[in-house]
Amino acid sequence: MAGALSSLKIVEIGEMASAPYASKLMADMGAEVIKVERPGVGDHARVRGPFPGGQPHPEKSGLFLYLNTNKLGVTLDIARPEGFEILEKLVAQADVLIHNVPPLEMDRVGLNFERLNKLNPRLVMTSITPYGLTGPWRNLRAEDLTVWSAGGVCVLNGAGPDHPELPPLKTFGSQSGYQGGVHGAVATMGAVMAQLRDGEGQHVDVSCQEAIASQLELTFEYWPYMKMIATRLGKKPIQPLEAMQCKDGGWIYLCCVEEHQWKGFVEVMGNPEWAGEEIFSDRLKRGENWEALVIFLEEYVKEQTVLDLYKKAQAKRVPFAPVSTMGDLLNSEHLKARGFFVEIAQPVAGTHKYPGAPLKYGATPWEIRLPAPTLGQHNGEIFVQRLGLTSARLDELKRTGVI
Amino acid sequence: MARPPLDGIRIADFTWVWAGPYCTLQLAHLGADVIRMETKTRPCITRMLPPWPDAKPGGLNRSGYFNQYSQGKRSITLNFKDPAAHEVARRLIAKSDVVINNFAHGIIEKMGFGYEAVRKLKSDIIMISLTGYGDTGPYRDYVAYGPAQVPLSGLSALTGYRGSPPMHAGFSYADPNAGVHGAFAIIAALFHRAKTGQGQYIDMSQWECAMGLLAEGILEYTMNGTEPERIGNEDPQMAPHGIYRCLDRPDKVMGIVVDQFVAIAVADDAEFVRFANAIGQAALASDAKFATLKARKANEEELNRIVEEWTSARAAVEVARVLQEAQVAAAVVADNKFLSEEDPHLRERNYFVYKEHPEVGTLQHCGMPWKLSRTETSVRSAAPCIGQHTDEVLTQELGYSADEVAKLRAQGALE
Repeated sequence: MAGALSSLKIVEIGEMASAPYASKLMADMGAEVIKVERPGVGDHARVRGPFPGGQPHPEKSGLFLYLNTNKLGVTLDIARPEGFEILEKLVAQADVLIHNVPPLEMDRVGLNFERLNKLNPRLVMTSITPYGLTGPWRNLRAEDLTVWSAGGVCVLNGAGPDHPELPPLKTFGSQSGYQGGVHGAVATMGAVMAQLRDGEGQHVDVSCQEAIASQLELTFEYWPYMKMIATRLGKKPIQPLEAMQCKDGGWIYLCCVEEHQWKGFVEVMGNPEWAGEEIFSDRLKRGENWEALVIFLEEYVKEQTVLDLYKKAQAKRVPFAPVSTMGDLLNSEHLKARGFFVEIAQPVAGTHKYPGAPLKYGATPWEIRLPAPTLGQHNGEIFVQRLGLTSARLDELKRTGVI
Repeated sequence: MARPPLDGIRIADFTWVWAGPYCTLQLAHLGADVIRMETKTRPCITRMLPPWPDAKPGGLNRSGYFNQYSQGKRSITLNFKDPAAHEVARRLIAKSDVVINNFAHGIIEKMGFGYEAVRKLKSDIIMISLTGYGDTGPYRDYVAYGPAQVPLSGLSALTGYRGSPPMHAGFSYADPNAGVHGAFAIIAALFHRAKTGQGQYIDMSQWECAMGLLAEGILEYTMNGTEPERIGNEDPQMAPHGIYRCLDRPDKVMGIVVDQFVAIAVADDAEFVRFANAIGQAALASDAKFATLKARKANEEELNRIVEEWTSARAAVEVARVLQEAQVAAAVVADNKFLSEEDPHLRERNYFVYKEHPEVGTLQHCGMPWKLSRTETSVRSAAPCIGQHTDEVLTQELGYSADEVAKLRAQGALE
């Protein structure tokens, strides 16, 4: 059985996480993705790592290798007219173009929907940019930290009311890129469904800032509804909702939102006398009197091991979870049984384990058919065999730095 | 504008809380007819959580939490203790394209709406379960709760101030992440069905979905056997790279002083030259302690003090403006007031949605993070009151007569 998206042909011009993650989601479900990189240097993710032995190498970056599985790789300088002409040939044969070329660069090279839509009326073109393609912030410079902050989520994370001097805290990794990417993949698939129905393409403008602002839980609405500001300094109204350290050095996240969950935890602790105190008698009181409660809980938790407390709590349907280290994840009996991590061999980087399928489909496979491409690996296959360029022309383009 | 992309697609929506509703919100945004099956006997918890308009709690229809994530959907109420309610759900599924739930593993089967049961009602149905741990594996019956899924995923171990304990993401990140991945999977399955006529079941583990977001951490371990250290707001390849204190908000909010920060990320030496000029300390760029990335990383603490000395005497918007004029990546660390009232960009892009709601009036909600050029993209209605569409759906879509609906209501099946 072929993947659900095996009939889709996608061209990606992407760097780092956003557009590459969107097209990875599709490639891993069978779509053909031709990834266009800058000649010589390639996708910036190639220098981000992590690298085996900590030694930087453009073909060994973990982030790049993860985000670009199942893609065919070509190099092309789209800022040069000869390069853009070849891009046009690629796009003419594609169903979808996904890119995260910054807006100013789009203007400079003439990468716009009107132009490409004339060549291919069915084309879905998805532009994933930090702030979207309209509005006063369109051209702002951006990195993951600044977009995560502008989206309104960074302000929510930090050391809390006991340490107001500590700043808001960024979440690990390229999260604004991933969120722009996966929301972009949703919008792109929507446009692909409309393409199937109407035989016409369209332009999809995705803003990473908006993707983040769309998922602020209940915090955004505190302003329009109650004129209250939500920040890292708010005291949690309900407790326990905290990580604590166990005797094996690991951490466990205590989580009792519903009353039955607290009761289950009290039973796990062997019904200690203090748990019957009036000041701990409901979740709001446990929030109010957290300074007292935390002393009792730490006393108990520091005598437990993470796995044992996790399993005992779960046996009573109390939703505790370990603060998983990377080692915990790789060694998890549950994830092993589900076959989550996949081994991928790449000729230069070697064989490593990677995060696998985000979802399991009953009828259509998620599979790794190809490792991430080396820089320009498929230039011959795509430019000569697919587009019909002569080998002499290919050599000339190589010599002049177009590919 | 042409019809929305998913116009004519119907979703039988068993979801609640956040992950599931965030999933079906994406589908509603793309034009699907999302029909939420709710019950007054055990309403969605988000209907009973703040924020409330004017800080006055009460009722099931006034929560900003529910009203944000259920925009554009319809709501019917069914009391599943009554077999007649099951029949309504069966008729709805038979006329739907997709069935979605985010109950703990096994619950939907116990309710009688597992995949084997629903495919008998509609042979090409697409069904997805967004569970915490997935449908298989030794922990499949474990319970998952939003806040606990972030530490479980591994993100907390990677996030935190330097030399300090693991931290959260500040919100139940794994929930919306699962929801949006689920929406992608559903549309991909709809595409496959359009091509082949085949439906399918999709097993989603929120845990696994979240691990897809931390490849750099996982690969550090699988390539080198080491656990990455927590480095706060720093970046191994950029400096300065941090969140710096600015002047407090000029006005107190509810009597409280609100602090403000700016995020600054300087990607390379050329950007650092522009940065140094912008803050009026051009000499920094030629100072051996700061001229190169390597030097800046080695003297990062001192550099951060210099940066914060400059930022802390200025308003965050001013700092961001000055730095962006010098082409340095900077942004106000936005809070909800900033997004709601002060961010000129989101307003200009018409990001926010204002729809009349019968009980809260016309309040501001977040919209969709994309714009489509040819097909309609607008939120079609405010979030539904509980059971607002029960009569409409039963009579217009499912073939019940008004008398039959009245009888069902009288016997309590539509509670």
